[in-house]
Amino acid sequence: MRPLLTEVQLLENYLKGTLPEDQQLDVEIRLLWDQDVQQKLANQQLAYKTLRLFGRRQLRAELEAIHVRLFG
Amino acid sequence: MSTQRLSMDAALLIDRERTLERIYAKTYPMVRHYVKENRGTDEDAKDIFQEALITYYEKVVYDKLTLTSSVSTYLMGICKNLWRQELGKRARKIGLMDAPVDEVGEEVAVDDEQPTATLMAFVEQLGETCRSILVNFYYFGHRLEQIAEQRGYRSVRSATVQKFKCLERLRKAVSHLSVDQFKL
Repeated sequence: MRPLLTEVQLLENYLKGTLPEDQQLDVEIRLLWDQDVQQKLANQQLAYKTLRLFGRRQLRAELEAIHVRLFG
Repeated sequence: MSTQRLSMDAALLIDRERTLERIYAKTYPMVRHYVKENRGTDEDAKDIFQEALITYYEKVVYDKLTLTSSVSTYLMGICKNLWRQELGKRARKIGLMDAPVDEVGEEVAVDDEQPTATLMAFVEQLGETCRSILVNFYYFGHRLEQIAEQRGYRSVRSATVQKFKCLERLRKAVSHLSVDQFKL
């Protein structure tokens, strides 16, 4: 994978807490001084939040359709 | 694969539409009955039932919930709670009719709409492939194996790479917004 993708994956695993202990610590230390990584992490969290809102909206629309089909 | 023998929670992730429809057909009439017995309308019943279903779905995906009781019992419990809260809210509203409007609270509610719409537009702009991979994986709890199969990827690895490419695009898109706008 391209380095950028590896980094996206690294941050995802960091957030999930599934990295090996030394790597988890590496990321934590980088976050202390590297503003670029801090920003990327914040953006990634916003991306997850966005997907959750989007998915919830889609699910709500699906439920509406079911409602109309069954009880409309 | 038949979903008949799977637990409801597992079936939900594999065959969402049919599973939700089964749950809906069985449980909604009970919720409607309860709400209407307790000063509510059909519309109220529909709203809280759908909210309860969304809560249940998210618990299955994000918290790996596995029910030991029946789905109907579980949903009925959530609905009763939600309806009690709603009745409380309505009672307070009537009591506060003559009180001054809570201006701060109003402002927050209005401000919230615009950023949300912007965020939704970012997902729309990703195009069908990325949108469906990301939403299916992160929200609907599909496994990468399932996504690879649906989209005809040769391997789970290709699906993984694609998923991270799409996530990177979304991350880049949202980076144009100031993060402080959102209290997330």
